[in-house]
Amino acid sequence: MKFLPLVWRNLARNPLRTALTAGAIGLAIALVCLLLTMPNGLDVLLERAASNTRIVVHNEAGLVYPLPYAYLQKIRSLPGVVGAASWSWYGGVFEVEKGVTFPNFAVEPEPIGTVWADWGIDAKQLEDFRRYRDGAIVGGATLKRQGWKVGDRITLKGTLYPVDLQFRIVAEIPNDRAPFLLFQREYLDQALRAAGRGGLDTLGIVYVRVDDPARVAPVMAQIDTMFKNSEAQTASETEKSYFSSFFSMLSGFVTIILIVTGLVALCIVFIAANTASMSVRERLGEIAVLKALGFKRRLIFTTLVAEAVILSGLGGALGALASLGLTQLLHARASSWNSSLGPLGSFIVTETILVQGLFLALFVGMISGVVPALGAARRSVAETLREVF
Amino acid sequence: MIELQDVSRVYHRGADEIHALEHVSLQIGRGRFAALMGPSGSGKSTLLNILAGLDRPTSGSVRVAGVSLNELSEDELAAFRARHVGFVFQFFNLIPVLDACQNVELPLLLTHLRKAERRERAQTALRVVGLAERGAHRPGELSGGEQQRVAIARAIVTDPEIVVADEPTGDLDARNAVEILGLLRDLCREFQKTVVMVTHDPRGEKFVDEIHQLDKGVLRHSAAQREAAAR
Amino acid sequence: MLPLRYALGNLLARRARTALTVSVIALVVVASTLFSGLVSSLKRTFVTSGNPRNLIVMRKGATNDGSSAVPLEAFQALRFFEGVARGPNGEPLASPELVVQPFFHTPGGGRENVLVRGVEPVALTVHDEVEITQGRMLAPSSGEVILGRGVEGRYVGAQLGQTIRFGHGTWKVVGIFEADRSSLESEVWADVRELGDDAKRSVPYSGVRMRVADGADLDALAHRIGDDSRWALEASRETDYYAKQAESANVFYVIAIGLAVLSGIGAAFGATNTLYAAVQSRRAEIGTLRALGFSRLAILVSFLIESLAIALAGFVVGSLVAALLGRLVSWWLGGIAFGSQTFTTNVVQLRVGAVDLAYGLCLSLAIGLLGGLAPASRAARMRPVEALRKA
Repeated sequence: MKFLPLVWRNLARNPLRTALTAGAIGLAIALVCLLLTMPNGLDVLLERAASNTRIVVHNEAGLVYPLPYAYLQKIRSLPGVVGAASWSWYGGVFEVEKGVTFPNFAVEPEPIGTVWADWGIDAKQLEDFRRYRDGAIVGGATLKRQGWKVGDRITLKGTLYPVDLQFRIVAEIPNDRAPFLLFQREYLDQALRAAGRGGLDTLGIVYVRVDDPARVAPVMAQIDTMFKNSEAQTASETEKSYFSSFFSMLSGFVTIILIVTGLVALCIVFIAANTASMSVRERLGEIAVLKALGFKRRLIFTTLVAEAVILSGLGGALGALASLGLTQLLHARASSWNSSLGPLGSFIVTETILVQGLFLALFVGMISGVVPALGAARRSVAETLREVF
Repeated sequence: MIELQDVSRVYHRGADEIHALEHVSLQIGRGRFAALMGPSGSGKSTLLNILAGLDRPTSGSVRVAGVSLNELSEDELAAFRARHVGFVFQFFNLIPVLDACQNVELPLLLTHLRKAERRERAQTALRVVGLAERGAHRPGELSGGEQQRVAIARAIVTDPEIVVADEPTGDLDARNAVEILGLLRDLCREFQKTVVMVTHDPRGEKFVDEIHQLDKGVLRHSAAQREAAAR
Repeated sequence: MLPLRYALGNLLARRARTALTVSVIALVVVASTLFSGLVSSLKRTFVTSGNPRNLIVMRKGATNDGSSAVPLEAFQALRFFEGVARGPNGEPLASPELVVQPFFHTPGGGRENVLVRGVEPVALTVHDEVEITQGRMLAPSSGEVILGRGVEGRYVGAQLGQTIRFGHGTWKVVGIFEADRSSLESEVWADVRELGDDAKRSVPYSGVRMRVADGADLDALAHRIGDDSRWALEASRETDYYAKQAESANVFYVIAIGLAVLSGIGAAFGATNTLYAAVQSRRAEIGTLRALGFSRLAILVSFLIESLAIALAGFVVGSLVAALLGRLVSWWLGGIAFGSQTFTTNVVQLRVGAVDLAYGLCLSLAIGLLGGLAPASRAARMRPVEALRKA
């Protein structure tokens, strides 16, 4: 490693070129990191958001197809089921022009604490939710975005149902991954009856909590068998599978992202290779002198490759960090700039991505430096000296 | 043709001040073949650059072909060079990606001549230096001597009054060197051009009309060549 | 001015270096053009040549016809409102529609939400961009469906003449339709009554599309519908509705621009490096040209031309590759699936169009100009004496 100062000084020989190359590689790596946030973000969401003891039961025909309310009780009576709650889509809008900006559902208040124990809703707040007919549980992300807090009163206008509902926010879901608004089923049922529209006798989906992860598969099978020959057949799946089906719609987009990422990575190889070849070309005479002095070919090769790797590594590190900074900025600011840019704020550069970006840079540096380094190491000393001097 | 009065040139390299020329006064008449000689670092190249309009003196006046160079701007100097001065360099300095004829044509692009006329003049210049049939060859395909002849053709194609040559034979073997020196002398004799040459080459002494010796930026001695030969 | 041959000749002389730089720019052009093509294609699905004389009626507050409900009585009254256009046999051109999102299964075992639109035959007239290209329109109460071009072949049974399963039943595919590359091509059309029964809907319709008669005041009719106190409905221009849907693609525009800017600057740096090296190695040449009398401007322009030539070469190569790659991806994926506001699959056909190529051209010219400016000025500003100085 005593040759490191030599390598370093060679990089400093032409600071402008070094800076430009590092800059170009940095930008490209930053781009790669940013592009990787999407596929990465989806994976993370799946890992963290889904529980491994919750099952989602819905109509086999589609999520918009209802199930008879009586199914809930039957599901509750199955062995291994700790709790079950139904969710029915209300689809209310808070600000009419913006449409439905957060999902809102009618649920039973009692099982919430059991089925979603992992959400960590405050026990006192859950108590209030059970007590107050017009109470609402709101997800943390939604509270922040709308600027609401526990205790506020809000009104949602119905789109699917011809009734508007007023709520008192009594509880918060203290995490960012569940931006829902949940309210009492009874409340909607009564409002519908008062408007002469009959009541609410169907449900959308049922969330089931089992006591043990090993029970998940058997319980799912039992539920589907139970309703197999009824008018509405069910399809049960794990919560993770349920979430991922939403994301499968993005698979084509993700493919494009990955292709573009690949192209950018290739770009980096070319940029680094170009610089490596230029700087080696200019030093052929010098290298010939070194060889004449007794430096071995392998050493020359190694130092030249090291130069390329260090340069790429530096650029890559800068780029990766820059991408981190950019996403932090977007995370903090995107929603406030323009609501349609909100999704940008969910791109997070994780440690994994940083490491991936850095490794790509180092790898690229190595590949790009090899060809010129090989050429320089192999050249005949006498021939070079004759040419250059 | 060339008149320098009390010319000094000082330039800065880092923190140092280098006095390349000190109070040089010099006159070279029309149609004369003059040599600037001296040890390295004596300022002869600097002197050549100044009288060619490539560099400005720090003090003193420069008058070439009836034009006072001191007052000219950067762009005016460029125009002056294009019209009045031809250049020959030690390393030929031809454009490698253009062929010989295109290289010779280059200075003509700064005039208003049409393509056909430019072509013709370039061919004529090549004929003068004896390379009429080699016009389509790239510099890489020509020998050192041939390249320098192309460079001379380029130097005369606009019919300038003055040709400056900086070590024209420095990179040539004996036979080619003598040829080039002879060619330069012919430019004076046959075309009335004033040729100023910076050289180390002692062979040059036999070809020139006058020698100006410089040492450490100071003009030590000027002598007509016949006198020098007698010495 | 210096001859073009000088600039171009120098590019050809340093083949490897030029090729590398051209490749960098080409790659950037490919990436940006592909992405731009994707965004354009996505936007295309939202904007049809759909009729500016059409109104879309939904429940107040609904932003898309997937989460809205319009009662039967409302429709029956609306269709006879003054200003609603009439068809050749006097029937009002008001199309009641029901939007449902059932699961469809792909041959690979995947599951996607697809927008099924329950319609009556009048829908074909009101949605005049829809054209049946194979088979025929579905007949009411016959268990038939027609498929949009984007749906064809994507799901099990989604072929003309076959039966497809969704909801609670099986349906016979009797026709395939095209709709000007809009999102309608990702839909399945069925009989509105049958669909409502199958989905057990208590409210039969989710929205109504109507054509406003020539000469009638469209805005007045829209207001009348909105102000009617019997139902809480809202009518807006179909073109406005689609424009709003298109806004959801805005985030992709930002990504596309970000991609272009970041990669463009990176490529420009690469070009700058190459050109600086060229300027450096041609010092003596530049000094000679200046000595010969060529102006600083001539040198500047010549080097800028070199830079722009590299950029243009990158554009040409990049565009060809992008167009090819676009077709390849499209063929292989059979259309890129996007989620839409109705949580259904919107199949986008990736097409690299003239606009996207123009975008790529501007990008590459910008790279050439910005990348070449600094080295070109350095070349131009070189003092002849220093450039000619033996190193």
